[in-house]
Amino acid sequence: MIWPMILAAGTAVAVMLVDLVFPRWYVPFGVALLGSLATAVSPYIVQKGQLALLCADPGRCSYVLDDTARLIAALIAVLTALALMLYAPGLRAGDAPAGEVGFLLASAMTGGVVLGGAGDLITLIVALETLTLPLYALVALHRRRDGAAAAVTFFTTSIVATAISLLGAALLQMSSGFVHLPFTMRHDLPGGQPIAIAGLILLLTGFGFKVAAVPLHAWAPTTYDGAPVPVAAYLSTASKLGGVIAILFVADEAADTDLRVTAGGTLAVLATLSLVIGTLVALRQQRTVRLLAWSSVAQAGFILAPLGGLLVSSSADLFAASLAYTLFFLALEFGAFSGVVALRPREDGGVLEDLRGFGRAAPWRSAMLAFGLIGLAGLPPVLSGLFAKIIVIKALLVVDSLWLALVVALISVVGLALYWRPLAALYRGSVDDRPAISFWPFLPLAAATIVTVVLSVDPQLTMSLWQ
Amino acid sequence: MNINTDVILLWTIAVPLIGAVLSFVVSDATGRRLAAVTAFLTLVFAAMLGMGQKQGMWHELDWEWVPALGLRLHLGVDGISYPLVLLTALLTLLCCGYSIWHTPTPGLGNHLGALLLVIEAGIIGTFLAQDLVLFFIAFEVVLLPMAAVIAVWGGEGRRRAALKFALYTLAGSVLLLVGVVSVVIKTGSGDMTQPASLPPNTQLWIFILFAIAFAIKSPLWPLHTWLPDAHTEAPTVGSVILAGVLLKMGTYGLIRVGLGVTPDGFAEAAPVLGVLAVAAIIVGSLVCLAQNELKRLIAYSSVGHMGFVLLGIATGSAIGLQAALIGNIAHGVLTGLLFFLAGAIKDRSHTGQLAELGGLRERAPWMAGILGLAALGSLGLPGLAGFWGEAFAVFASYQRGGPLWTTLAVVAAVGGALTAAYLLRMLRKVSHGPLAPSLATASEAHWPEVVAWAPLVFLAFLLGVVPVLVVDLAAGASLISGAAGR
Amino acid sequence: MSVMTVGLTVALIGAPLLLGLIGLLMPQRNRPDAAALGVAGAGVALGIVTALLILNDGNSQASMQWVAFGDLKVTLSTLVDQRALYVAFAVAAVAFCVQVYSIAYLHDDERYGPYAAQVSIFTAAMLTVVLSGDLIMLLIGWEVMGACSYLLIAHDRRLPEAPAAAVKAFLVTRVGDVGFLLGVIILGVKLGTFRIPEVLDRVSDLDAGTVTLVCLLLLAGVAGKSAQFPFHTWLPDAMAGPTPISALIHAATMVAAGVYVVARLFPLFAASETALTVLGVMAGITLLLGAFAATAADDIKRVLAWSTVSQLGYMMAALSVSAVDPAIFHLLTHAAFKALLFLCAGSVIHAVGSNLMSRMGGLRNSMPLTFVTMAIGLGALVGVPPLAGFWSKESIISALEVKPWLMWAALIGVAVTAWYSTRLLLLTFFGHQRMYGHEPRFAMTMPLALLAVPSFGLGMAVYAFRDDLVHLGTGLVLPLLMATLGILLGWLMCRRRDPIAALGPVGPWIGNGFGLDTVQRWIVVEPVLALARAVRVGDESGVDGVVMGVGRLTEATGAGLNRWHRAALPRAFAGVLAGAMLLVIAGVTVGLW
Repeated sequence: MIWPMILAAGTAVAVMLVDLVFPRWYVPFGVALLGSLATAVSPYIVQKGQLALLCADPGRCSYVLDDTARLIAALIAVLTALALMLYAPGLRAGDAPAGEVGFLLASAMTGGVVLGGAGDLITLIVALETLTLPLYALVALHRRRDGAAAAVTFFTTSIVATAISLLGAALLQMSSGFVHLPFTMRHDLPGGQPIAIAGLILLLTGFGFKVAAVPLHAWAPTTYDGAPVPVAAYLSTASKLGGVIAILFVADEAADTDLRVTAGGTLAVLATLSLVIGTLVALRQQRTVRLLAWSSVAQAGFILAPLGGLLVSSSADLFAASLAYTLFFLALEFGAFSGVVALRPREDGGVLEDLRGFGRAAPWRSAMLAFGLIGLAGLPPVLSGLFAKIIVIKALLVVDSLWLALVVALISVVGLALYWRPLAALYRGSVDDRPAISFWPFLPLAAATIVTVVLSVDPQLTMSLWQ
Repeated sequence: MNINTDVILLWTIAVPLIGAVLSFVVSDATGRRLAAVTAFLTLVFAAMLGMGQKQGMWHELDWEWVPALGLRLHLGVDGISYPLVLLTALLTLLCCGYSIWHTPTPGLGNHLGALLLVIEAGIIGTFLAQDLVLFFIAFEVVLLPMAAVIAVWGGEGRRRAALKFALYTLAGSVLLLVGVVSVVIKTGSGDMTQPASLPPNTQLWIFILFAIAFAIKSPLWPLHTWLPDAHTEAPTVGSVILAGVLLKMGTYGLIRVGLGVTPDGFAEAAPVLGVLAVAAIIVGSLVCLAQNELKRLIAYSSVGHMGFVLLGIATGSAIGLQAALIGNIAHGVLTGLLFFLAGAIKDRSHTGQLAELGGLRERAPWMAGILGLAALGSLGLPGLAGFWGEAFAVFASYQRGGPLWTTLAVVAAVGGALTAAYLLRMLRKVSHGPLAPSLATASEAHWPEVVAWAPLVFLAFLLGVVPVLVVDLAAGASLISGAAGR
Repeated sequence: MSVMTVGLTVALIGAPLLLGLIGLLMPQRNRPDAAALGVAGAGVALGIVTALLILNDGNSQASMQWVAFGDLKVTLSTLVDQRALYVAFAVAAVAFCVQVYSIAYLHDDERYGPYAAQVSIFTAAMLTVVLSGDLIMLLIGWEVMGACSYLLIAHDRRLPEAPAAAVKAFLVTRVGDVGFLLGVIILGVKLGTFRIPEVLDRVSDLDAGTVTLVCLLLLAGVAGKSAQFPFHTWLPDAMAGPTPISALIHAATMVAAGVYVVARLFPLFAASETALTVLGVMAGITLLLGAFAATAADDIKRVLAWSTVSQLGYMMAALSVSAVDPAIFHLLTHAAFKALLFLCAGSVIHAVGSNLMSRMGGLRNSMPLTFVTMAIGLGALVGVPPLAGFWSKESIISALEVKPWLMWAALIGVAVTAWYSTRLLLLTFFGHQRMYGHEPRFAMTMPLALLAVPSFGLGMAVYAFRDDLVHLGTGLVLPLLMATLGILLGWLMCRRRDPIAALGPVGPWIGNGFGLDTVQRWIVVEPVLALARAVRVGDESGVDGVVMGVGRLTEATGAGLNRWHRAALPRAFAGVLAGAMLLVIAGVTVGLW
């Protein structure tokens, strides 16, 4: 039997049931938390060794549980747990029904757990959708009604995106006759190549929606800002991770076929556009979460940039770099969001001016938030952010794609200007009322900071994960 | 025994970092003192590096860090870096000590001290790093703390100035990153002690990346415009560190990385460098001649002086490099002193406008005297620290021969006269003439100020009379002897 | 004995320097100690020189490495010969007198302490120039002297023009020093050494072009220091300094340095005919310019200043005809009588409280000693036998015969000198008394007496040892004639009233050096300042404008994109789909092609 999925799905069901029996907020909350933590550890404890399911024939399986799958399952589960903790103050105050929230997060987690092992396009897309679908509800599911608009935007855009990626998958399958990843790139059927190219481009663009990469990025700012901040945090980390994994899988398969250039070109375009547009537009944002949203568009660019190197030539470094950057990013981004929540539990992100004076009033939390922001800007003293940038640039230079490296380098200069504003706001002036410190949101913040510190000391950890 | 001395390298960087964290968390008053004590300890460790001097690297320390990035914890000290390390430690100590006595609004002296220590660690790291990636990281560490010092404790337009400083220098250092990583990939190692050789054309474009980065930091005309704003807005200690040692990272990098790793590229680009350097001398001096704000004037004078240093480097000859190195130190001492004085004057008069100053020697003859000394030294008066660097930069440039370098030498020498012109103008406006109302109540130098200035005054004399202190050390370094060989 | 000589030489430079530096650290108010330090500095130096002269163990040189740039060594080295010792003696003696004199002259100045210390350092710097055996070391003394003169000229706070004059003095000399530095550098590059003996030995290794170039460059520096045309403009303004400082600058230090350096490096100059010609022309112009300007000045110190300019012209003229000893001879006598003249002028000003001769007159009764000593000084200046100036000037003029045009200039100069000296004497000490003067304190009169002795007898003394310098014969007739003529005319024209006053505005114009200041201002100063303003504007709005422009452009782009993103859903979808399709079409076409 395959435990991580069971545990994840089970958690969802369990949460729903206990919510019916014990309507106090902390019961479903606790169950969801435990469940997700259990899911996080399960792939390493109960489910050891290779495992393949639903195989058409050896080597063509729809689900393979390998190290990558383990890692992703664990990551998604952990992020789910952290998101829950962030949401705790809101749930306690009844801003949103604990049962539903727990259930939805758990279901999303289930999708994420499956995603890592997906062996064919259909499983991949379904898993991805399972990961995102519950989030529409989560965005809307809040006392503040402005979530509705956000949810609508999110939902409708995502339909378009899914349609695009499904079309791409269909074209690929049509060109090769296979849906299983290793084979679907072959397009050895007559006249298959153009169809395959079109399919691959559509598929990647469609996945680009999940990572909020240009051109399918416009939803992110509205949605993040409308959603409760913990959900925004989840969107910008867990669901983004899902998208990245999907893209990595597809690109990896394309890399050693003649579709390499297509994949590389598409991703290079996506990356460049995301970097430039995301960073520049973020410069103008006044609302904290919107700024973070746009910055996470830019970050998607950084994540995809190494894969753009496929345009020149293929190298394992590219994928390793992309995954490594994603891991650094997850820690920093979650740190930033948790910082905002920890400073203003229960409120929305607010405008930058709302951060004013926290630097004096709540030095530790502000410091951790600043830590995350500086890391996202990729500067010391937060070395992990700097390492992330170096990794990306190194990978690109390994395959001699100098211009993309230069774009990454130069855009990160503008990046500083963008993270400078929240930092400046944080340490400008002083407020006398010290914001109440609440336990639960502080945990994820601390966790993210610790991970960041660890990665600053030994970034090597992230470098050996891709195989 | 040898091991211990090598580990000192690590301590010179670790001590300030630890001290920074500690003084950040403790109370203001305690933090200030703690920072000063840490700075003193660092100075002690830095001084200990002077033991066991020999040809090439005196001490070396080479540990694995991040193989995937080709990043090693590779530190080393030799005759080129030692004086700079010492200067850094000294100036930081002076600044931390000064901050005990006086920290501009909004106070928080412990935070200021902590940031100064982080900056110190970064700068010393830059001077000690023998691994390219490590060098880059140390180079970057300085950026945000310095920007913070300007943005929090600075003057009116501090935030804009700080952001400009941060962005401008970052733009340079990302190019440095690209260059560094390219070298690491192409040679397979970031070792700066024995850099593997690259094909000339590769060297050229990599060196151009390096050169832009270091030119911005130095700063070399026309990439200098962040400097005046930063200096004008920065608090006194910020200016001192900035002019005293932070700029040296650029010139040092140009020698250690530019010349050391990409010698052929350097040789090819040297004439351009030389021309820009001389342009910096002339433009800097002329702008100073028409400048009306005290700190801005001193900032632009830095552009001019670093022009001489860069001219020395550009010649690539042993004499030029030695001149550049002592010029570096001299500029650090004298300009540091000048900024201390400018800060003291502004604290008293609350204005930097030359038109609103005057007659300082009537109220505060000692301060006026030290200001005069600093100005004379800074205009390259023989017998004081500033002379050697400038005179022998010109010498080296003339020695290169050929119409271009000869012209450069002559123009640079003329620039020397211009330097005298604007510094005397400054003296005349500030300390001579009738007593200006802004200084009517100015007090004589307080003892903490005197304590902070005295070492610099002493060094200004010492280096003027005993230049061997720097020059001979440098002669031992493999880079210099290599240049002499060439 | 040479070791001892070296030790003494080092002490000779070191003593005043050390005492000066200590003096700088003295608390302001402490007059006695400051005075003690100052006098001691000069006194010790004087003693040592005398000792060295008595020891008289010929030429000695010593050298130790100071610092090595690459393979080029800069040395700390001394080069002592008779000439150096004589000049050093003059320096020390004048400095001593000045220090003593200053105690009284600045009795009410609370910044006397630093002043005395700076005079000591000034002395040390000049001694360095005199005794140094290494060009770099010489350069150091050379420039430090400039800096000290700057500080001392700016000393007087009551004169608004003092700071400006100080800046002018330093800058003009500094501009000349650019040439000097380059000259030294070229020597260093070509010969690989800065040691003067080696340089002089190996002049022959240099090609003619280089020698000329070096000489001309050095001459620029020399002209700056020795106030030769066209770098003479700073000297008259330098009168803004306290009178003893004028004495110091004009007699033995600063201006003497230029002449001395040419003499010391003479083998170099001798190797370039061009350089000597240039030197000669410069000297000719300078000595006439100075002499004529002196005729019209009303400020007594200005008259003396201009006379210095012209006398330096004589020395340079001598050098230009390879008459080195006469030049140094005149340097020494001039040191004596010019110091005397300035100190006399000082005591007159001290008594009258004004520099202007139009305010003086008839002082001979109330200030007999000053009158007599000043008369001696002026006599020496004119070259009245048997006073010191007579011998030295004769020796120069007789040497000038090889360059007749220069000799005639010199002769005319003699007449003019006689004229303005007479004028000065008449206007100050004769005529009806405008205000009552009084002899100053002993500290001020004593130096006058001291200096009067050499001003009177030095010439004869030297003649006793070296009769080859002056030939008592028919050659003397012409100069003496000119001098007499000058004196006569002067007496006739000036004994009733000042003829210059009749000239109206022309008088001041001549007195200010024929408007050369204005020329200098419009050819050099103003253009540079205009350029500076232009460059500043260019730098701040041009270079920095680009930088800031990039920033604004980025922000603007961000704003544009931001606006562009505020679109209603349907349009957004259209955009998205269009984007996707665009990618596909592009991809497929590229892929197929």
